[in-house]
Amino acid sequence: MAQTNIGSKTMDGMGPKGTKVGLLRVLGPAHVWALGVGIVLVGEYMGWNFAVGKGGAYAALIACWFAGILYTCVAMIDSEVTSTVAAAGGQYTQAKHIVGPLMAFNVGLYLVFAYTMLEAGNAITAGYLVSVVAGMSGHEGALDQRPFIILVIMSLAWLNYRGVLATLTFNLIITAIAFVAILVLFVATTGIVGASIMQHGALMEGAAALPYGWIGILAAMHFGLWFYLGIEGTTQAAEEVRSPARALPFGTLAGIMTLLIAATLTWYVCVGVLPWEFLGDGVNGSVAPLFDTARLSGSTGLVWLLGIGTLFATLASANGCINDASRAWFSMGRDKYLPGWFGAVHPTYRTPYRAIIFLVPIALIFALGAPLDQVITFSILSGLLGYTFMPLNIIMFRRKWPLNSIKRGYEHPFHPVPAIVLLSLCAITFFAVFLGYGTQLVAMIGFYIVVSLWFHFWRYRFVSRGAQFTMPWPKPKGY
Amino acid sequence: MQTWNYLEYAAWGLSALFGLAMLVDWFRTDTTYSEDVLTSSREGELEAMTEEHKV
Amino acid sequence: MAHYTPPVQGKMGQLIDVIVLVVLTVGALFVPLWMGLAGSSKTVATPVENPTWETLGQNPVQAAQYEALGYDPAGAHDLILARFDYSFSVSAVLIMVVVIVVYYALMLKFSESEYRDVIAEKFDSK
Repeated sequence: MAQTNIGSKTMDGMGPKGTKVGLLRVLGPAHVWALGVGIVLVGEYMGWNFAVGKGGAYAALIACWFAGILYTCVAMIDSEVTSTVAAAGGQYTQAKHIVGPLMAFNVGLYLVFAYTMLEAGNAITAGYLVSVVAGMSGHEGALDQRPFIILVIMSLAWLNYRGVLATLTFNLIITAIAFVAILVLFVATTGIVGASIMQHGALMEGAAALPYGWIGILAAMHFGLWFYLGIEGTTQAAEEVRSPARALPFGTLAGIMTLLIAATLTWYVCVGVLPWEFLGDGVNGSVAPLFDTARLSGSTGLVWLLGIGTLFATLASANGCINDASRAWFSMGRDKYLPGWFGAVHPTYRTPYRAIIFLVPIALIFALGAPLDQVITFSILSGLLGYTFMPLNIIMFRRKWPLNSIKRGYEHPFHPVPAIVLLSLCAITFFAVFLGYGTQLVAMIGFYIVVSLWFHFWRYRFVSRGAQFTMPWPKPKGY
Repeated sequence: MQTWNYLEYAAWGLSALFGLAMLVDWFRTDTTYSEDVLTSSREGELEAMTEEHKV
Repeated sequence: MAHYTPPVQGKMGQLIDVIVLVVLTVGALFVPLWMGLAGSSKTVATPVENPTWETLGQNPVQAAQYEALGYDPAGAHDLILARFDYSFSVSAVLIMVVVIVVYYALMLKFSESEYRDVIAEKFDSK
């Protein structure tokens, strides 16, 4: 075994357990950053403003920071576990090794759902953006958005199909452009360069400060998650990163810092220009708040820059979502949690091609058939269920394999404080979702209960027992 | 304006093209290689080769 | 523990399993939509006749921003006045808490029993 060089061309992705065609190990930390931030940055361009609608501008900022704490905990916990359990499937594989098969099945579905819904939301936004551009360029009558929505999903699926390096290099470039666009907007509108157009005082005075009172702050947590949702997807790249134990924690933590900056700047710029009622209604009012802010700046250059930024952010996000959802689906197929047919890797492109193809029509159904806030809520709910799993996961991880029993690539500090904070914030967010979207919450959990029963009593018979535990760890404590 | 109508058709056409490209390649791959090779990927190969997890 | 050899699933069985999953998934999303339960739509509690920016409660700066965005008072009426209804009953909260806690408890319980099998086969049968 010692002579096997996994970096070599011939052995790359193949190994002693019989893998003839495996995923390609080509990514570096920058790609991990691009995957994490790329998925999430669209949250700054659209969607977060529903939080303003649920509680007003100040509530959205408080929610933004509390959600930031939540995600910092997520990133820390995730970095530790995933730097140790480095396999495609991310949290799914973690759950399988640490909590148990049924939990793993549920976590895998959370991932696929959260990402596929987010992908659908991105495609909807991209379609809307194209129609706005058409309107601005003098097109009369309503533009049919469907072909553009389908084109986004199809072309990105194709890119993913053709190989991970090109996919994430593309993501790196467009994510960087979208991030720079936010910085430029901030610099150009707040008086750092040129005149300031910020009017925070007048726009947030009186009843506009906290229109729903304190409960609005709670309620805003629901969409506060949207500032960061998806950063945990970095772990899906584990099997394709050259050195997971180093690149994953680095890329993830750099990603969360980028997002904290971007989220705060976005909030500051948008609420300083747009009245909260308009900003907070992401369906009839401001679908793309940064773009609307640029429109009010009176600068054609900014309008173009933020228009392109919005488009790139949606593309980067949809792209990353296809990548992550297919990795999760693929790993579940590989373990026979789902039909084994999905566990196939393309011999030339080295991608989980069947999972990628299968998820295309699913994304299309959601993108063409459901309204945006519904899709976003389902994505957030699946994400939230996943975040609630993480503190349970890390507590069991540290208990079953204490710090000195196995080698960890990264150890997060202050355990168990992050786990407890994360669990409390999740509880608050469940309540926030309940305020206004209680039906979906119950429908969603009902769905997971039904599929859990289906898995436990039917599907699990096709899974081999001991062989699914693939990490070379000692026996867990207490078993 | 006519341009946008053409763009709509172009989008439909391109979507179909991407879809077709994937379908054709999928079919070719599945008929060229055996299922054994395609689904041979196993989890945890990297750990098996590089990590002993002993401190 | 005895080594467990899972049965090999045929093509048909795989297909059926996929269909079941897709139906459940699509159902979870669309059933609430069809039943009209989805989303708490915001409602306008007290409409204003012949609205002006003042009667809509907008100060001059806010009104100017709305005009820059292309709204007049009548057009912005619904947008400005619509509000969520956050009143809720304690029993509904309790139901939600129970549903979530039961869900996680069930899952941890089932997972634990399955996990013991996995560990037993992995580490004891050698």
